[in-house]
Amino acid sequence: MSEPLAKLHGQIDRLLAAGTFSLEPDEHHAMLLAVLREALAYAADQNPRLKNYLDAWPIDYRTAGSIADLPFLPAAAFKADPPLMLVHPASIIRTLASSATTGQTPSRVVLDADTSKRMVKGVTSILRDFIGPKRRPYLIIDTPETLAAPAELGARGAAIQGLRPFATEVVFCLKGGPGGNIEIDERALLDFAERFGHEELLVYGFTYVVWQHFVLPLRAKGIRLKMPHVRLLHSGGWKRLQDQAVTRTTFDSGVAEVLGCDEARIADFYGMVENVGVIYPDCDYGNKHAPAFAAVIVRDPLTLRPVAPGGHGLVQVCSALPTSFPGHLVLTNDIGEVIRYDGCPCGRRGISFRFVKRVPKVEVRGCGNIETVRERPAA
Amino acid sequence: MSDSVRNIDSPQEITAAARALRSHALDRPISASQVIEVLERWGNSLTGPAFDAIPGVAFLKLWLRRGTLEPIVARELGLGAMSGDWWEDRSARLRSFPVGVVGHWPAANVEIQPLLSLSCALLGGNACLVRIPTGLVAQSGHILDRLRSIDVDGTLLGRIFAATFDHDRMDLQRAMASAVDGAMIWGGAEAVTQIRSLPFPHWARIAIFGPRLSVAAMDARTWATGEHRASWCQRLARDVWQFDQQACSSPQVLFLERSANGGVAEFVEGLAEAFRTENRVHPRLEIEPALSSAICLSRASWLLADEARRGVFSPGPDWTILVGTGSQIPVPTQGRTLCVLVVDSLLEPIQTFDGMVQTLGLAISDDAREAELARAAGRHGVDRIVKLGRMHVFGSPWDGMDLIRPMVRLVRHIPSGD
Repeated sequence: MSEPLAKLHGQIDRLLAAGTFSLEPDEHHAMLLAVLREALAYAADQNPRLKNYLDAWPIDYRTAGSIADLPFLPAAAFKADPPLMLVHPASIIRTLASSATTGQTPSRVVLDADTSKRMVKGVTSILRDFIGPKRRPYLIIDTPETLAAPAELGARGAAIQGLRPFATEVVFCLKGGPGGNIEIDERALLDFAERFGHEELLVYGFTYVVWQHFVLPLRAKGIRLKMPHVRLLHSGGWKRLQDQAVTRTTFDSGVAEVLGCDEARIADFYGMVENVGVIYPDCDYGNKHAPAFAAVIVRDPLTLRPVAPGGHGLVQVCSALPTSFPGHLVLTNDIGEVIRYDGCPCGRRGISFRFVKRVPKVEVRGCGNIETVRERPAA
Repeated sequence: MSDSVRNIDSPQEITAAARALRSHALDRPISASQVIEVLERWGNSLTGPAFDAIPGVAFLKLWLRRGTLEPIVARELGLGAMSGDWWEDRSARLRSFPVGVVGHWPAANVEIQPLLSLSCALLGGNACLVRIPTGLVAQSGHILDRLRSIDVDGTLLGRIFAATFDHDRMDLQRAMASAVDGAMIWGGAEAVTQIRSLPFPHWARIAIFGPRLSVAAMDARTWATGEHRASWCQRLARDVWQFDQQACSSPQVLFLERSANGGVAEFVEGLAEAFRTENRVHPRLEIEPALSSAICLSRASWLLADEARRGVFSPGPDWTILVGTGSQIPVPTQGRTLCVLVVDSLLEPIQTFDGMVQTLGLAISDDAREAELARAAGRHGVDRIVKLGRMHVFGSPWDGMDLIRPMVRLVRHIPSGD
């Protein structure tokens, strides 16, 4: 391992060992800024094209005094093929792909062994803060096939895997049905409920999968489970459910009804493959927080400067974890709101924010807006 | 909302408005000269800070002058059109008549476009049913309100019905299309495709302006010598800034002819300085989050694709210059994102143009060379070839088409007594 990389690993490890949500904001900023500057320097050494981009940035990252001044990559830059990488292809043990909708190109990030381990540590330390360290039976609202291709894992698979460190036993409760449909594996589900229903449980599913393939079919069949001590985590976004006019309130009450638990035991978390290793569950006050090894900046679209508390803007996620791909500073396609920069009543330090919506499509289309370009003959 | 722009909620309102407009136009024929008389007074009345704040009003005032409009009418319709008389055409007589009610669908990115569009149809003696894009209601309404105060006998006002409704209201779009005899459609690909598929009467004349994009080009001597470089950069910055680079006449790319003498980096720094200056004078006041994201992505995609490429940009999304080589026009980002491409000869990119390029803005030191480039550009679908700094100056023809003539019928009378 090169000296700069070894130094960087050491810095990242120190951040991972720091209190996940307890660092004083200035101290957190200083520690993370130092790591991110080193990480960018290392990334520039590994990838000449990335260096080209970093060198063009109006503020020199080597001397930048703020994380907000560091060069960020838009999330769509991770749709590149081959994926952006900072390691030799032989070192890649897994590629993660985002859940792109039909016809869209997914984002892809490559993981080497070190980054992969750090991702697990990152998710584990965040979740431990939210649900406690105890291992428990883990029910996955998905099919086993979601994990079928471990070399290239989708967002659903990555999220499922991220929760495994908290599992004593893993059960999938969906299965492939006739015609490629997904249906509930009633036997597996009811058996799990009977064996562990009275215990502390962990349940995870993609938001629309939980609704479409779990809540609605169970409701239709009149099945009500008894899992009062469950913690259901879901992620993946609300777009498909918004199209069906399913609100967060409707979702929570529907899930609570079929699981037989309190709505407070259901938590949405925000995450993306470009920022793998960091997830943002809702705290008891409905806010999201960034751990010690990460940060969130909400940028005013007009200036790209961070917004004041209460302000809305483009969400940028920052992470010290990756050394195999340049996912250190990623501008997402989401709009967020900064609730406050410190002092959430939940006790977690630093920024508290909320996800508002995806960046809306441009409304005004001018006469210079060309959507179709005639194919030109190859030169 | 202004009294001059009606908020429409039912197809019946549109049908009734079109009927009233048609009746008014049939009962009160009007000559181009009479139209120009009111238009000129209207233009002269657009003074004061509220009008100065509307982008393009200075140009609109120039456009509405008799000195601007008369030559256009004469060229497009013939000298007799000014008075509304017949004119001799060998053994026959010709006279222009309006098509009737012209529907206008202006683009949402050019504040004065509803007014420019309707002025063209009015000059042909038509009545105008104008859909004002929801984002332009305040500005258009303000300008139309001023017409109310100067056109007290309703010479033009009786021929104008300005309506606003959401562009997704297809029932209203269909009602408007069904009610008109001609249409002037301006806009981006999505809007134009949607509107041209509406159920227009089979006799309706349809004139479509846009979507197009525009390009700038400089020969080696012009950009590589320091003498006038700053002034050319300033002109180009102005062309980029207007309409936030969303207009069909906005330059999206600058082709630089390779020079043995000058450094591209030095030129780009000069251009960046002109962009900084223009941004200080005309800072953006708002931006769609999606455009801000697109600008960030264009910077990253450009620089990550090739180590030889360069980029200079502001910390915010204010402006971006992307530098590389090649003669293909990249997909435009807009939002003051200019791609500078170095080529061996300016003929190389021009020969790849097709009908997509509307305007070629030039800075060329040699007249014969410019004539050669203009010929090549014309052959390859370019409709306007102008000096850098004048890419947005609206005039006839536009998009290779007359502006008044498409909404006019030329009636031929062969006297029976001959």
